[in-house]
Amino acid sequence: MLNEFVLELEGITKAFPGVKALDNMQFQLKKGEIHALMGENGAGKSTFIKIITGVHEPTEGDMYLFGEKISFKNPNDAEKMGIAAIYQHVTSYPDLSVTENIFMNHEIRHPTWKTLNWREMHKQARELLCELGSSIDPKAQMNTLSVAQQQIIEIAKAISTKAKIIIMDEPTAALTARESEELYRITEKLRDEGTSIIFISHRFEDMYRLASRVTVLRDSKNIGTWNVDEISNDKLIVAMVGREINQIFPDKKMSAGDTVLEVKSLSNLGDFEDISFSVKSGEILGMTGLVGAGRTEVCQAIFGITRFEKGEILLDGSPVKSRSPQEAMQNGIGYLAEDRLEQGLVVNWSIEKNITLANLSELSSYTWLHRAKEKEQAKTFGEKVQIKATSIFDTVHSLSGGNQQKVAVAKLLTKDLKVILLDEPTKGVDIGAKAAIYEIVRQLAEAGYAVLFVSSEMPEILGMSDRILVMKEGRIAAEFVNRGVTQEMILEAAMGEEPVQKKSG
Amino acid sequence: MEQEKQTYQPRTLETQLPFSWKRLFFQWEWMLLLILVAVLLFGSYVSPYFLNYPSLRDGTMVFLDKAIIVFPMAMIMIMRDIDISVGSTVALSSVVMASLYTTAGLPMEVAIVACLVTGAVCGLINGLLIVKFKELSAVIVTLGTMILYRGIAYIILEDQAAGGFPEWFGFFGWGYVFGIPFLLIVFAALAIVFGILMHQTTFGRKVFAIGNNPTASRFSGVRVDRIKVIVFMLAGLLAAITAIFLTSRMGSTRPNIATMYELDIIAMAALGGVSTAGGKGRILGVVIAVFIIGYLQYGLGLINMPSQLFLIIVGALLILSVAIPKLGSMIKRK
Repeated sequence: MLNEFVLELEGITKAFPGVKALDNMQFQLKKGEIHALMGENGAGKSTFIKIITGVHEPTEGDMYLFGEKISFKNPNDAEKMGIAAIYQHVTSYPDLSVTENIFMNHEIRHPTWKTLNWREMHKQARELLCELGSSIDPKAQMNTLSVAQQQIIEIAKAISTKAKIIIMDEPTAALTARESEELYRITEKLRDEGTSIIFISHRFEDMYRLASRVTVLRDSKNIGTWNVDEISNDKLIVAMVGREINQIFPDKKMSAGDTVLEVKSLSNLGDFEDISFSVKSGEILGMTGLVGAGRTEVCQAIFGITRFEKGEILLDGSPVKSRSPQEAMQNGIGYLAEDRLEQGLVVNWSIEKNITLANLSELSSYTWLHRAKEKEQAKTFGEKVQIKATSIFDTVHSLSGGNQQKVAVAKLLTKDLKVILLDEPTKGVDIGAKAAIYEIVRQLAEAGYAVLFVSSEMPEILGMSDRILVMKEGRIAAEFVNRGVTQEMILEAAMGEEPVQKKSG
Repeated sequence: MEQEKQTYQPRTLETQLPFSWKRLFFQWEWMLLLILVAVLLFGSYVSPYFLNYPSLRDGTMVFLDKAIIVFPMAMIMIMRDIDISVGSTVALSSVVMASLYTTAGLPMEVAIVACLVTGAVCGLINGLLIVKFKELSAVIVTLGTMILYRGIAYIILEDQAAGGFPEWFGFFGWGYVFGIPFLLIVFAALAIVFGILMHQTTFGRKVFAIGNNPTASRFSGVRVDRIKVIVFMLAGLLAAITAIFLTSRMGSTRPNIATMYELDIIAMAALGGVSTAGGKGRILGVVIAVFIIGYLQYGLGLINMPSQLFLIIVGALLILSVAIPKLGSMIKRK
């Protein structure tokens, strides 16, 4: 039954100098199925995609498309054969319009004049988007759209190339629960129309919700393919990590101390309004809500990156003003940025220089930098957070997402802080590294820091927090003590229809 | 209860890199040294008066005055900015100094201080504009001030020359200390000071951080704006020092001196290995590049070659300097 499979990989191996990025990979994709692909970062998922989409040529092995043996020389070949990929970081042209993005590389031309047929393209773009149940204006500029909308455009683009196989690389990573729901709906619609979809995700919810089969990659090998309804969560984790993780969320051993950070009716028009909360020493305060609910804005205002119009921030009972991150850190407030590559780290620098960047003045006298002290500090804090690397001179770029995050945390630890604001600390990090980061966060709290833990992922909010704040449209919609709280309660508060009206006078 | 606990083997991080020949020799500076040797051989080939100590020593006076500005320019380029107003700053500082001495009749010492202040203020204005108007790129801002400063110089001196400085003032341009040109000593001292500043101080580290990732630097508590303003001010200040040496050597000044200096200076920094994308560069490379371009100019001057030829060679060198590292990595990939 050769025809059952639209895509088949037979013993595909891809070797780079020194490493086998993919080892004797077997893979079969059925027509009209959603096939989940899971594995930790570095397991070989990206190489796998790159081979299917023609970015890399396999060193060994055969690939069959609709039963016929094929080989791609470049991504254009794959695109012509009906294979399209949608990436986690949308790779579009932000300054161009929706239509231009959809028809990039396969523009519709006027039959006689060979000029671009804008009217036709706009029309088709609108139809495509309409089919996907979206009302985005085809003339809108790409960078005015949300990440979720941009992803819909990418899907529209894939459909417009008449793709038979669509690869989605962590499409839900940057989406809120509601946006993910929308993406699920579109994905299912595509499946019902006969498109085969390879869906890559770290989120188990995605897999259970969508996929009929799941393939797990580990150490560049295919560990196995299962029907989703036949495999348990635990078994999957063992397959992915290669060992049992008894407990993802660490136990809480200590009770909270005195109130350290107190935020009083913080407001900034358009971003957030009337935000009040407090965090105690040794406490983890979870903050959740939909993306765009104003969580990052609140953190950045507390950290002195952005201004706020009204309100007060108190540390240990006395008001503090931080007009810059530098002042905030001097006051004892640290912030782990959401976008660690853009805001958190200097990626082409060594671990050492990254760790010490916030603390250079302590390592110098009269601005002269003491190299030995610097090395020592990098080693101490790098080992404290258990960075997986050979030396402090390894570039951050070469580390996995989880280890990069550890470098960013180590940098905060070098400062004498009381409060740590963690903005999506486990974003884009695989499950093994997540557990390590949870452990670090719990240790921070136990060391007496007041921790604000911002996350969109319900399980970790519920697993980590002592109390939970739910933000909605720039306001605090609800506050829970984390005892018997369920995902549903949080989601209801985050998305509930009636807005919390509180007039500030 | 599960008995087997996760066994953590504590990870250690090395703080010592093993010695590597590759790392020692895979440096741009070696390539620059080779080019410098080639320039010297070329010079001795075209002119018998080129390759000897007095000639090479005094030849430095031709180019080291402007080369002073290359240090802050390297820092500016490392921070992904550029300053094309330095030539005009030289002219304006020089004209201010000359007119305060000749027209206003102030003592020369006061005029020199005024020259330094003028340069620093010019740089300060550049820095503040760039920091305050983030949507404007440094090229546009300094293009504006380049025209502005030159224009003010013309208003002050109206296309006249001003000169007749006291005799001791000539020492800057022509003086020797222990048989070494004063200018060369100043340049060497500045090279050491800036080498330390850039590679051994927290200030330099922050400059590199800004060039690699300005946002992450700010989030890590680096006062990005302040550092930028300081560096632009340094560029202005060193442009004023150049003005002193240049004016002294020429004995008089005009509003049109130091035209196109910025191009030579940027070329020196780029050839020296300062990445135009920011974040990379070393003072040592820049210093060697200064001598490459300088001696090339000097050698061609000795045989009365047209200056256009010099421009062609510098242009080719620049493109080569960008292309060679790329070629290296292309060959490695094959």
